[in-house]
This record gives sequence, structure tokens and C-alpha cells, in this order.
Amino acid sequence: MAAEKRYDAVIIGGGHNGLVTAAYLARAGKRVLVLERRHLVGGSAVTEEIVPGFKFSALSYVVSLLRPEIIRDLELPRHGLELLPLESTMTPMPNGDYLVRWADHDLTRRELYRHSPRDAEAYDDFGKLMFHLAFAMKSILGIVPPNPTSLNPKDLLSLLKLGKHYLGLPAEQFYALCKLMTMSAADFLDEWFETEPLKATMSASGVIGTFLGVRSPGTAYVLLHHYMGEIDGVFRAWGFARGGTGAVSESIAAAAREFGVEVRTEATVAQVLAKNNRAVGVALDDGEEIHARVVVSGVDPKLTFLKMVDPQHLPTDFLHAIRRFKIRGSSGKVNLALGELPNFTCLPGVGPHLRGAISISPSLEYMERAYDDAKYGNFSRRPYMDIIIPSMIDPGMAPPGKHVMSIFVQWAPFELNGGWNDEQREAFGNAVVDTLAEFAPNLKNAIIHRHVVTPWDMQEEYGLTQGNIFHGELSLHQLFFMRPVHRWADYRTPLKHLYQCGSGTHPGGGITGASGRLAALNILKDW
Amino acid sequence: MNDTYDAIVIGAGHNGLITAAYVAKAGLRVLVLERRELVGGTAVTEEVFPGFKFDTGAHRISRLYPPLVTDLKLADHGLELLPLDPTVFAPTLDGGHLSLWRNPENTIDAIRQLSDKDAASWNGFAALVAKATGLLETLYESSPPEALSKKRKDRWAMLRMAGRLRRLGKRDMVEVLRILPMTAVELLDEWFETDVLKGTLGAAGITGIFQGPMAAGTAYLFLHQHVGTKQGILRPALRVRGGTGRLAQALAGAARSLGVTIRTGAWVERIIVEDGRAAGVALVGGEEIVARQVISNADPKRTFLDLVDPVNLGTEFLRRVRNIKFNGVCARVNLALGELPDFSSLPGDGPHLRGLISISPSLRYLERAFDDAKYGELSREPFLEAVIPSLTDPSLAPQGKHVMSILVQYAPYHLKDGVWDESRCDALGDRVVETLAKYAPNIESAILHRQVLTPLDLELVFGLTEGNIYHGEMTLDQLIFMRPVPGWARYNAPIKDLYLCGAGTHPGGGVTGAPGYNAAREILKRVK
Repeated sequence: MAAEKRYDAVIIGGGHNGLVTAAYLARAGKRVLVLERRHLVGGSAVTEEIVPGFKFSALSYVVSLLRPEIIRDLELPRHGLELLPLESTMTPMPNGDYLVRWADHDLTRRELYRHSPRDAEAYDDFGKLMFHLAFAMKSILGIVPPNPTSLNPKDLLSLLKLGKHYLGLPAEQFYALCKLMTMSAADFLDEWFETEPLKATMSASGVIGTFLGVRSPGTAYVLLHHYMGEIDGVFRAWGFARGGTGAVSESIAAAAREFGVEVRTEATVAQVLAKNNRAVGVALDDGEEIHARVVVSGVDPKLTFLKMVDPQHLPTDFLHAIRRFKIRGSSGKVNLALGELPNFTCLPGVGPHLRGAISISPSLEYMERAYDDAKYGNFSRRPYMDIIIPSMIDPGMAPPGKHVMSIFVQWAPFELNGGWNDEQREAFGNAVVDTLAEFAPNLKNAIIHRHVVTPWDMQEEYGLTQGNIFHGELSLHQLFFMRPVHRWADYRTPLKHLYQCGSGTHPGGGITGASGRLAALNILKDW
Repeated sequence: MNDTYDAIVIGAGHNGLITAAYVAKAGLRVLVLERRELVGGTAVTEEVFPGFKFDTGAHRISRLYPPLVTDLKLADHGLELLPLDPTVFAPTLDGGHLSLWRNPENTIDAIRQLSDKDAASWNGFAALVAKATGLLETLYESSPPEALSKKRKDRWAMLRMAGRLRRLGKRDMVEVLRILPMTAVELLDEWFETDVLKGTLGAAGITGIFQGPMAAGTAYLFLHQHVGTKQGILRPALRVRGGTGRLAQALAGAARSLGVTIRTGAWVERIIVEDGRAAGVALVGGEEIVARQVISNADPKRTFLDLVDPVNLGTEFLRRVRNIKFNGVCARVNLALGELPDFSSLPGDGPHLRGLISISPSLRYLERAFDDAKYGELSREPFLEAVIPSLTDPSLAPQGKHVMSILVQYAPYHLKDGVWDESRCDALGDRVVETLAKYAPNIESAILHRQVLTPLDLELVFGLTEGNIYHGEMTLDQLIFMRPVPGWARYNAPIKDLYLCGAGTHPGGGVTGAPGYNAAREILKRVK
């Protein structure tokens, strides 16, 4: 409009990755503007007061993968980030029994022993192996993927280093890693354990956010991806942010602002402006044009390249590759405001088990059947659910004596037979509540308000194409140097001065901030 | 019978015979021991009903590793290969059908009847498949690279492989790498829109494994089935004149002419291990035969868990062997027919009956068939691959009559309730005939005799663990340097002088002879 301001960088989308990129750029002295379509920052990592007094982590609900170097570099604790650990995972069983894994190792061991002495023994070895593997994989999370077709010495060197790293692993770890990359979570776990609820609950982390079942090869890798959870350097600890997931985004935004980043909400980017095959700024939906030296997109690759950039600026084979990039949404979210705590038949009353995760995953067959529904375009009639009750850990999330419950639901396909509408949304909500009520019968009467987010809502409200929470599926052919497409896995794009920093880039998925950080470092390198 | 041999081969399957022949060719004295009265393993032709001869095991071969045919002079020993043309005929229930031919032009014409778009995509797809299989061919000709070996030779072999990959050029290299771990559905959806085309191609990606086409790794298996075939020929199949058993006879003939002794009806009970090395075998009945090397054509589970005393193997190795997935899913139904099947969508006799007949109307059909098996049940509507060899080979059936063999999937070895007893076996036969009758209604009245081989029968008759036709599933986690188990992919074993040469080793299943050929090379390298 009137005062033509000139920025060094404009970031499309105030999701956590966009904010991380902004903060790192500003920290390096750049003038940065973040444009967010909604009225609050955070993207999928937001806390919203949907019913007065009840605060929901509307989409993303746990934090584990946030990179410790980001926490340090941006001094997030000083900006209000406080991570509270989740203490347990409880799986209710249809026969009235339960399986709980506690933060306390001895308790878990005793509990596992109750189900299977063999599994109790195997559990420690398994944990050790996964720790080593996660550690081995960690190195890959922190690097810009090299281009294997390039003869550029930098790429070759990086490839050589990677090769040396992996071929230098102890044989047992190397082979386990090869198997993880190619097996299904169920098969991988079958090699170790026999207790059904244990296998099913562990396998769940292999399918979250993918359009695959626990018996689909490739899911074992996603299992590892989730194993890399790390809070303040402590491996494998999942946590919850005080104030909800939005507090993570807000702390990053506060850090960014302190470095001088300007954040504008309710500013919808319609188009990336380009001149002479270079991005020069963005146009908002109201016609306002904002110019900047570089444009960085935190939204997913499909939205970025198919909706915001004029196709004439992009090569056709690049567009072809972006079009076939798989981004099927497979999950939904149900948030409940509760008048009282759920009372689980298997473990009645209030107890420490309600302070952790509750997983509705009684058996591998249950998981697989839930997936079968989705394969043919229906939401699961009896879905897999990952539940937490944030108000148990952080009482500020709900009025005194009342509670909020966050239910992550898999599978709910974006491409639903007949399409998503209000009626289907209700039916989906009912399927979730009905299934959960089988394990906690008082649930239905306890509900004060129900907030259902379908994959369709995730696309329309949160800007996730097809409702895919990872900005693109984490399948083998969409990882590392192929994420989002080959040759453009280094956060650059075929349009000069346009960069990507979202989950659709390596390493992708989850609240890690890794994509945002690596993008910023690469942008600064090009400066 | 106290001759000493340089090498004993356990099992006269086609790979066992090939290894025996090559090892004998290098001057070693070789004895092959076969449990059954006839040689061939799954490559056998048997007169199941008077006058009707069936390939009871493999009813087609996709290709033979070319050097074998010339090195062993198989043609002189009576081998004649007949390429099927069309390669495959796939009827649908809505009156449609699709044939794929050896001449790509004919295939494109056939596809054009269903979709112009798919016809236009065909050559591009065929070219991609050819590039990917070309790469695999290089990989299959050699022993698998030892990823972790520090030896310069092994490192060099891996670099050579990388070089071969790079030679594809930037774009193709990435494209090939990208499609290897994909699902058949993902791969085919990127190229085609016609259900029956996708279903019929996708069927190659699921044959013999406990996975549906929506599983990662099925694109690989699809490619595996096309290694070594000419560009543009998909779902290729060769028949052996006289039946697949003639291949075994040609191999046995070649082996004998090189000095190999073959004993049938000789059931190996265990491998004798002395001082940490294999020293011979003991037969059922007590006879012991001494040899300097023991080579097992049996699958890895059978070899290491049944034939070797576990005290000779480390626990980690045993754990890996136990964890090899077998998950047999195939059954066989053999029909003696009074007349040819008459397909509603393409009535009468015609060239279409001379190819593989594939009941694979869509990828969804295949996935649904898998869904049943996943929970331990026979597919309500199974995938079928049938062949009527008597059309090209009248000697297999009495005049005017025919034999039809049908590969059935999914018939899971592990049933949810119960086992493969007689009533289950009959139900399987009925299910197959009912399914086929939907496409060719006269089939029921045309049947003179029926033989049903459940996965359990395949295990009992052919010694295939869990009835798995590949000696271990052909899934990504059990391939190349992880086949049969990580660390032992070079046809060798933790016991000195014990080797493997069957389909459980790289490059795996199908009647190709490549594992047997590779094994012989490795063995000779170590013996010399």
C-alpha cells in the first residue's frame, strides 16, 4: 500500500517451521516479515480456546522431535517454552485388562512381565537397539540432503561421508537399519515381541500420518522416525508444552520478534511475485504487494508450487513431480471438553495413567482392520486413537474440575466416499466417541463440547493439502534427497530466490523445526 | 556305496542340478540326492490322471539365465522353450478383456480398445521397466555386494554397481531409485487409468508374497519378474515343450554328461558336521555319505533348522533364520478338461487361450483378495493365473481333451481357524472353479478330474517351507545382501564347507537358474 517497505525475506505461513526460519534469518541480521493467513501463529501447532475456558491443542498435540539446538539457539525456555513429560502410555484391552508402559523403567518391566516374561526381557534389548539406530539416523536429520546425481564435489563428499557413516556401523545395527527401511512395523515387532497390545501400540507410531497399515512395508521406518523424540537431549521422551502446543509456536514467535521479525496475521498470500525468473515478493489476496529479496514458503509443496507460483516460472518436469508427490491425508482429530474424567473399566478412577497417553490399539488385527476401512475410502468404524488429557498435566488448560481431551484419530481418508460434509463429520465424531466409550463408559455423559477436525477441515482451515499432517507422506520414495522432489531437496526451488522451509522438505513431519532451521542456514549460505 | 565325493547337493531342484553341473564341470565329483523318485523339485511334470500330464510345481518360467543354456548345452539335452503369445489374457466381468502380446504394437492396439491415454503411455512405461530391470540384471548376475565388507574387492564391486546406476543418466537414475521401494499401485497409477491393465500388471508384483498391491516392495517384485526380458514384453512367460519337467530332465542330462551322479529316493536326514565343517550327510535309514562340501538346494529354514544340529550355529544366526518370512500364499488347482473353457467376453477358441489367463480385473480386486488372507482366510475372490499347455503341446492330454493348471492366491498357509484338511482343500477347489466360472461358465461341466494342492501340500510334496514358492518371501527386507539372512548372502554358511544354492539365496525365486549359477561360482572360488 502506501508505505512501500522493503524486506530481506518474507515468509509464507507462520507455522512453527516458518517461524524458525524467520528467527534464524533475523538472528543473522535480516529484515524478515512473516505472513500468516489465520488470526494466530503456529499453523498446525496452535492452542485454541474453542469453548470458553477450555484450551485445545487443536491439531498437533505432543512435542518430542523439536531439535535441541533450536531450543538453545533461540533460547526458547526464556520465551516461555516449558515442556512437561508424558509419564506413561496405557493401552486398554477388550478383555478388561490393560498394558501400561511407565516412565519408570522398573515399573514397565514389571508390567510387561505380567503379560509376557519373554517380552519383558526383549523390551530392554529392543530399546537399546532403537536408541542406537535413532542415534545413527540423527546425523541424517541435521544435514542438507546431497544430490546423488550431482558430480559437485560438495555433494560427492557428503555422499561419501554418509556412506562411511552407515557402512561403519556395527553389523547388527546396519542390518537392523536396512530391515527398518523395508519392513512393516508389524513384521519388525513380531520378531521381538508376542504381547498383542504391546505390538499394536508400538506399531502405531509407524503409521501415524501415513496412509499405510501396520502390515505395510515401510512403516517400520516411521516407527524409528518417532523414536527420535528428544526433549532437551533426553532421547525418547515425549512431552507436552505448558499452555498447549501453541505455546511452542508462541515461544518461537517471541524469539523471532526479539530478533526483529515482523509477524502479520490475517494476511493471506495469494501469489508469489516473480520477475526475470526470480521471486521478488508476494501478493496478498486483497491485492497488496510486498517485496522482498527472498521469499520462503512454509506451506506444503503442492500449495506452494501449484497454487501460489505461476506455472510459467517452473519447469514442466518439476511441476509433474510435484503433482505426483503423495500427500494423502489419513488422520483426524477430535477434541473434547469434559465435565469429568473418563473412567476406564480396566483401570477405574483417577490415577497416574490419565497423565500419560492412552492408546486404543488392542491388537495388530484391530489396527489392520481400521486401515482396511480407509483403504476403500471410509473412515475407520473402530479407529486407532492416541489420546491425551492435557488438563491433567497442565491444569490451566481447562476450568477447575473440568478437563480437555485430545484424540488423534487414524484412519480418516481425505478422499472419503461421498465426500466430507457435516453429516459425515458427525458420524466420524460418533465413531470415535462410541469406540472410546467401550473402554470408558462414562465418557458420553461427560462431554460438554465436541470439536471434530476432519482431513477436509485440516485442508480448509489449516491449509494442509489433503489434510496430510506431514506436508507429504513419509514413504521411502519421498524421503531425504527425494523430499519433496529430487534435485530440490536442498530447500531451494527452480524459481530463484524462492525457498521452502516446511515439513514437505527433509527431514519432514512432526514439530521438529529441523526443516525450518536447515532452510534458514541454506538461505544464508546463498545470500 | 562308500565312494567319497567332493560335493553333495541336497535336492535335485533346478538350481541344485545347475550348481551340480557347474561344479562337476570344474572337475569335482558330485553326488545329487533327491528325496522324490523324480528330479526337478518344483520343475516337474507328472501324470496326475491317466493321460493327463501336469506341471504340478512351476507351470511357466519367466526366463532362464542365458549362459546356462549355452554352457550346459541344454538344447542338446532336449530343452525347447516356447514363448507364450499373447503373454497374458485378462477377462473382466463386464464383457471386456485385455491381451498383452510379445509384439508391443499389438499390445498397444489392444490397450487402445480400452483407453487411448494408456495406449499412449505404454512405450514410456515399457522403457522405464527396461531401464530398471537392466540395472537389476547387472545385480543378479553377480553375487550380492557385501555391504559391510572392508575388502577392497567388495568395496570395488559396490562402486561398480553405483557406476552402473549412474550410467542410466541423471533423470533415469533417480526415477529407477524412486520406483524401487514403491507399491505396485503407486507405480501403475502414475502411468495408467484402465483397471484391468493395472490389475494384470500389478499381479506380477504380488505373485507368491503375502502382500497386496498396496504394499511397498510390490513394484520391486513386479520388476523382478521382468528381469532379462525384452523391452515392451510384460507378464512374460515361457513354457517348456513337454512340460516343465523336461527342463529338469535336460539339466539332469547335462549334469550326468559332466559326471554328476544323481540318486533319487534318497532322503537326507541331516548334515554331518565335524570340527565345525560340513563333512557329509546322513540319509533316512542310516546311510552316511562323506563329502568335502555339502551344498543345499533346500530352503534356508529347512537347511539350518531341520538338517543341521543347532549347536553348530550361533544363536544370532539362528534367530535370523527363524525370522525369515515364508508366509506361503499360493495353492495349485489342476484341471483335466473335456473341452476348452469358453470365456463370455471372448468366446470360442483363439490365441487368447494360449497365453497366461489372469483373473486380475483390477488392483482393488487383488487388494481385496489379500484382505481375506491377512486375517487367515482364503480369498473370497482369489487372483488366478491359469495356463492351458495342452493347446501348444497336445502330448500332455488325450486327443481333444486339455489340461489346465491354475496358480491360486491368496490361500494362506496359516489359517485363522484350523488347518488345511480335506474339507478345506475341497472348498479351495470349489472356490477356484466358481471364480473361474464367472468368466467362463462352461468350466464346471468341462471338468473331468480335479487336483488341489494347498500350501500345506506344496510343503509336503515339494519340501517348500510353509508352501512358499520362492524359498522365502521376495520382499524388500529379504533381498540382495539380506537374502537369505543379512551377513550370509554369499551362498555360504557359518559352517565351513556348507553352501546354499536354492531360491532362498540371491537373486531369489522363479525358475531362472541364477541362484544355482551364482552359487557354483562362489563355491568354486572357495574350493580352489
